[in-house]
Amino acid sequence: MATPLIKLLHEHREELLDAWLHHAQSIWSGNGNYESLPQESRLRLRSIFDDIATLIAQTTPDDDFELNPEGALANHLHQFVTEQARIGSGANKTIGLMLSLKHLLSTRLFDRSEADAVADLMWLERIFDSLTQLTFTAFVDVREHLITQQSLSLLELSTPVLRLWSRILLLPLVGVIDTIRARQITERLLEAIARHEARVTILDLTGVPVIDTSVAQHLMKTIDAARLLGTQVVMTGISPEGAQTLTKLGIRFGDVLCRATLRAGIAEALLLTGQRISPVEERRS
Amino acid sequence: MMQHQNVPQPMPPERPADPIPSWPPSVASVCVRVETEPDIAAACREIRWLAERMGFARSPAYYLATAASELATNLLIHAGGGWLRAASVAGRHPNEPPGIELVAEDAGPGIADLALALTEGYSTAGGLGCGLPGVERLMDVFAMDSRPGHGTRVRAIKWP
Repeated sequence: MATPLIKLLHEHREELLDAWLHHAQSIWSGNGNYESLPQESRLRLRSIFDDIATLIAQTTPDDDFELNPEGALANHLHQFVTEQARIGSGANKTIGLMLSLKHLLSTRLFDRSEADAVADLMWLERIFDSLTQLTFTAFVDVREHLITQQSLSLLELSTPVLRLWSRILLLPLVGVIDTIRARQITERLLEAIARHEARVTILDLTGVPVIDTSVAQHLMKTIDAARLLGTQVVMTGISPEGAQTLTKLGIRFGDVLCRATLRAGIAEALLLTGQRISPVEERRS
Repeated sequence: MMQHQNVPQPMPPERPADPIPSWPPSVASVCVRVETEPDIAAACREIRWLAERMGFARSPAYYLATAASELATNLLIHAGGGWLRAASVAGRHPNEPPGIELVAEDAGPGIADLALALTEGYSTAGGLGCGLPGVERLMDVFAMDSRPGHGTRVRAIKWP
C-alpha cells in the first residue's frame, strides 16, 4: 500500500537525502568548525537514511511500530552515535540530527497536503520517537562507559604500593580517602606485605588534603591489619596544621611511629631493618 | 550596635524539608548539597577555597576544611543527606576581618540528647565519636539545635 509518506520517499529520495546531509553539515559547522563533514559520517548518515526509508516502506501506519534493537538501523545508529560521543560531540547535535530528518519529512509531507497525511504524520512521529530514544540511550551508554573506565583507571593509579628497599614498602597516599579507596588501600597493602615479607611500611600522607576522623579511622584499621602481618608502620608527611587538627579532634595514633618527612621516615625504616645507605667512598677505603 | 553572632538564633517552628539557601549574593559563600560520599570531599574543597580566598591563614583554613568534612560526614551518615553552607560573617569588632560561618542543616531523625552527642567517644554509627566534639574545639563559636523527628542544625564560626 503506497501511503503519501512512502510515495514521498520513493519519488524524492535523493533530494531528501541531500537536504538532510546539507542540514547535517550546517549542524556540524555550527561551532565555528568550517571543515566539511567527514566522509565516513556522510556514508554512515546515508546508510541510516536508507534504513529508515526501507523501514517505512516495509511497514504501514497501522502497524504497532517497534524498533528491532538487533536490526540494521539500530546497529548503524548505534555506531554513528558511538563515533559522535567518542569525538566529544554534544548530545544535542546528534539528537538534533535525527529530529531534523523528522522535521524535513513531516514538512514535505505536509506541503503535499494529500489525504491520509495525518495518519502518516502520526506514524512518522512514532518512528522518530523510538529512534530518538535509541540515540539518547546509546549516547548516555557511551559516556557512562567512558566515565566508569576513567574512574577505574584513576583508582588503579592512585594507590601504588612501592617496594622501596628489601623488606621496606612505601605507600604514598595522594588525594581524598573515601570508603572505597580505604578498602582498596588496605587490600593492596596487605597483599604487598605478604608478598614481599615487609618488616616496615612507610605510610606517606603528604598528598592527603584533609585528615578528619573518618580518614583517621580508615588509617587506623589499615595500620592494625598491617601489624597483624608482622610489619611496623612508619607514618610520615603529616603537615603542622594536620597535626594540630588531629590533636584538636582528639585522635591519637598512640603507638604508631611518626616522622615529619618522608626522608626521616626512610631513615627510620632503614634503622628498623638494620640497613643503611652509605657513601661509595666509604666502601672503597 | 548589632547583637554579636555568638548567640544562635532559635530554630524557626516550621522548616521546609530541604531548606533553600538564601545568603545575600554579595556575601562570599559556598553551598553544597551532601548526598553521596564524593559530596563530602567537594564540600571540604569548596570551603577550603573560600577560606583561602578570604585570606585565612593555613591553620584556620585547615581547621575549617576539617570541620566541614566532619559535619558533611555527619549529614550523610546520620541524616542521609543535607545542606552544608559556609559564608563570611562580619568580625566581632568593626575593625576586625570577617570570619566564616558553617551551617549544617538536615531533616533527619534529630538528636534527642545534645550533651551526649557532644561527649567524647560517644558514637551511634560505629565512628570514633570525636567528630562533633572535635568540631566544637576546632571552631571558635559552636551552636547546635535539634528537634527529634524534624532535623538538626549545627552552626559554627571560625575567625581568621
